[in-house]
Amino acid sequence: MRRLTITVAFLTIFASLFGGMAAAYALGGYLESVWYTGASALSNLVILMLVFVMVIATLLTLAERKWSALMQNRVGPNRARIHLPGLSSRSLAGIPHIIADVVKMLTKESFTPKAANRFFYALAPILSFAPIFALFAIVPAGPTLPVFGHEVAMVVANPSFGLLYLFALASLAVFGTVLAGWASNNKFSLLGGIRACAQMISYEIALGLSLVGLMMAFASIQLAGDSGMMEQQAQYLWGIQLDGFDVGIPAWGILIQPVGFLLFFAAAFAETRRTPFDMTECESEIIGYFVEYSGMRFGMFMVAEFVEMIVFSAILTTLFLGGYHLPFGGQWFANLAFFKDYPWVYGATMGMVFWLKVLVLIYIQMNIRWTYVRFRYDQIQKLGWKILIPLGILNIFVTGALLLMDTSMRSLGLLGILEILLILILISSSPKSSLHKPIGQNEALPSHH
Amino acid sequence: MAPLGFEPTPPNEDPLDSHLNIEPLIVNMGPSHPATHGTVRLRVALHGENIQDCDVEIGFLHRGFQKSCENVTWAQCLPYTDRLNYVSPMMNNFGFLSAVEKLLGLDIPERAKYIRVIGAELHRIHDHLTATAATSMEIGGFAVFLYAVEARELIMERVTELTGARLTTSYGRIGGLNRDLPEGWKDKVLQTLERIHLVANEVDGLLTRNRIFMDRMVGTGYLSLEDALDFGFTGPCLRASGMALDIRKAHPYWAYPHLDFDVPVFHACDNFDRYRVRMVEIHQSLRLIRQALEKLPDGPVLIDDWRFALPPQEAVLNTIEGTMAHFKLIMEGVQVPAGEVYHSTESANGELGWYLRSDGSGRPYKVHIRAPGFQLLSALSKMVKGKLLSDLIPTFDTINMVGGEVEQ
Repeated sequence: MRRLTITVAFLTIFASLFGGMAAAYALGGYLESVWYTGASALSNLVILMLVFVMVIATLLTLAERKWSALMQNRVGPNRARIHLPGLSSRSLAGIPHIIADVVKMLTKESFTPKAANRFFYALAPILSFAPIFALFAIVPAGPTLPVFGHEVAMVVANPSFGLLYLFALASLAVFGTVLAGWASNNKFSLLGGIRACAQMISYEIALGLSLVGLMMAFASIQLAGDSGMMEQQAQYLWGIQLDGFDVGIPAWGILIQPVGFLLFFAAAFAETRRTPFDMTECESEIIGYFVEYSGMRFGMFMVAEFVEMIVFSAILTTLFLGGYHLPFGGQWFANLAFFKDYPWVYGATMGMVFWLKVLVLIYIQMNIRWTYVRFRYDQIQKLGWKILIPLGILNIFVTGALLLMDTSMRSLGLLGILEILLILILISSSPKSSLHKPIGQNEALPSHH
Repeated sequence: MAPLGFEPTPPNEDPLDSHLNIEPLIVNMGPSHPATHGTVRLRVALHGENIQDCDVEIGFLHRGFQKSCENVTWAQCLPYTDRLNYVSPMMNNFGFLSAVEKLLGLDIPERAKYIRVIGAELHRIHDHLTATAATSMEIGGFAVFLYAVEARELIMERVTELTGARLTTSYGRIGGLNRDLPEGWKDKVLQTLERIHLVANEVDGLLTRNRIFMDRMVGTGYLSLEDALDFGFTGPCLRASGMALDIRKAHPYWAYPHLDFDVPVFHACDNFDRYRVRMVEIHQSLRLIRQALEKLPDGPVLIDDWRFALPPQEAVLNTIEGTMAHFKLIMEGVQVPAGEVYHSTESANGELGWYLRSDGSGRPYKVHIRAPGFQLLSALSKMVKGKLLSDLIPTFDTINMVGGEVEQ
């Protein structure tokens, strides 16, 4: 029964991702044929950004509770019920909680403190939400394919300055946080706003530096497109053909730039301002920069956090995990005869692969968020300035030197795999706590005094 | 206090040479603030993120414990003691009873002594788990909080089976205990101990070698041994400052002399060592309870002296002596001879001392508590001054003051 439930749940996820992507392709092709060339960008805007990102963000509010409940030996949300015959006795996996949440957010009083700066107070939630949301525009969610005789690209925009757009918009989001902290005229939120400001400044640099190595390796800052950073990850560092089935070590960002991956992951995590980087919130200490907000304005901050998580996961996937590409067998899969006739099925499958990778990354982020305790204000700065930034610069030099010797990225890949092995060894060799007592052995203390 | 901002330059100062007048940011943490559980108000003067000054203000939970005790009989004080340290009520019960018994010169039955040890150690684990859980939760580790609270819940259930209440235990009477262990309780406790052992190891695995946790705890909330002694630290906080003072060893009481346990000592005087002392003490308490359950002698749990202990109902209903003793005990209270006494037991947070004074009537003339949390809390200001605001939270948690006993 349990296995069946899990299987059904996973199949539902696969099917809805596949269906969503198929709809995106179909709508894009339709718009291209009835309107003008390039009109599919509009359908992508609606389906990828509004439907996919927003629906996943909404579901994440539930997933966060459910996953944290799994990790903490709890049942999780199950109290909200739909009072209809046959439904009132079922918890429906907690899904009514989403509805309850939305209704609560929308109907609560949107309180404004008397001494607050009304304009900035109202502006802040929008400022923290919009830039993050707009970030997703440059992320390709599927291959460019002919649908109804027209080329449909699964990306809203593919500017040649791709990553610069990312850096520019990612740093805008902090304005919302800082303004919210300042405009609410509350000392706690002011502290939160100042912390956010300091944190963003230190991590913005690490965020940029961590990607320089990757830009050099791929000689591009464009994400989508034939020479874009994602397409280049489809090639193999070392690959062979087995009866037309291709296997090998792909040129994924995580293999050629593992340090860059870790740095970007840490910096992006810090940008999302979730534990262990939630200095701005610190609910037991300063309660957070949004302490005065209520209703949907608070909801915007909350959703922005989830959207940020999705967008950064999507960017990580695109840059480091090969985007929608399979780790092996990609060429064999693309050349299947069936897909020649139905290219949109291929596109939707690849889109599903992309979203699954995003979900895995989100899952990892949730695990981290519910496992660790948070940093202190100065420790977070130390991590940013003294560890991440020097490591990022070192990574740039090493990458540059290796690329000078060997432009094929193979030496980079070799170094990357060695680095990954080293990290694994370091993790597995960390010492155990001396307080740990095997069962039945809580006897005399060791005499180490 | 004026808000943060630029003060007008004093007229006699050259505007080109003048300095910015920086005023501290006064932040009120509490009395209702997520971190100041126990309803304490911390008035913190901040310079940026640094604490310039911290003014600890208590009194929000004051319930007039001492005065209330003067108006009731000695036995009726017992329910008030439940509410002192509401995380380990049985320790307060037994501490108070021990003090009264000392004033009376009573010796309680051997079995009662062992059961008092079991109850007190269960609540020591309970208290330490709560302190560790709260510490972890307030620096962001919510999982540890729920694990520890799950184990705590098991103790609560055992306590409920033993006393009939989760918090308001009122267990024990002058001269022993009001009831014996319930049927099958021993085995349930042993199973609970196994579970607590697992949880303690799990908490240890999540926190002790966790780099972020260590960064937050190691070296923060430092108070030297000298200062700790000056402030009157006792219990886990003193043992984390390098002094092996434990009243269970220094002045053994109840069944502790017959039981084998160690007193953990750490020397760094910081939050991390306070946490470590608590974690080790959980294991030592498990060891103590196992021993006590094993060695538990048979026999009565209450002395058979009707001047101090209520006669059995049989005797009350059928004999004139029993009826009279019951009437006298209920209406007039135990006749405690005039005099004064100080008696202390090792509670979860340190020395829980009782100063009792009797004028020879059935009611206390004076009941004063030396609550361990009071001395710990008074040092908080010194511990956090000059440190970061974020250090205040774990420091406040590891000293584990409990509002109920501090404010009485």
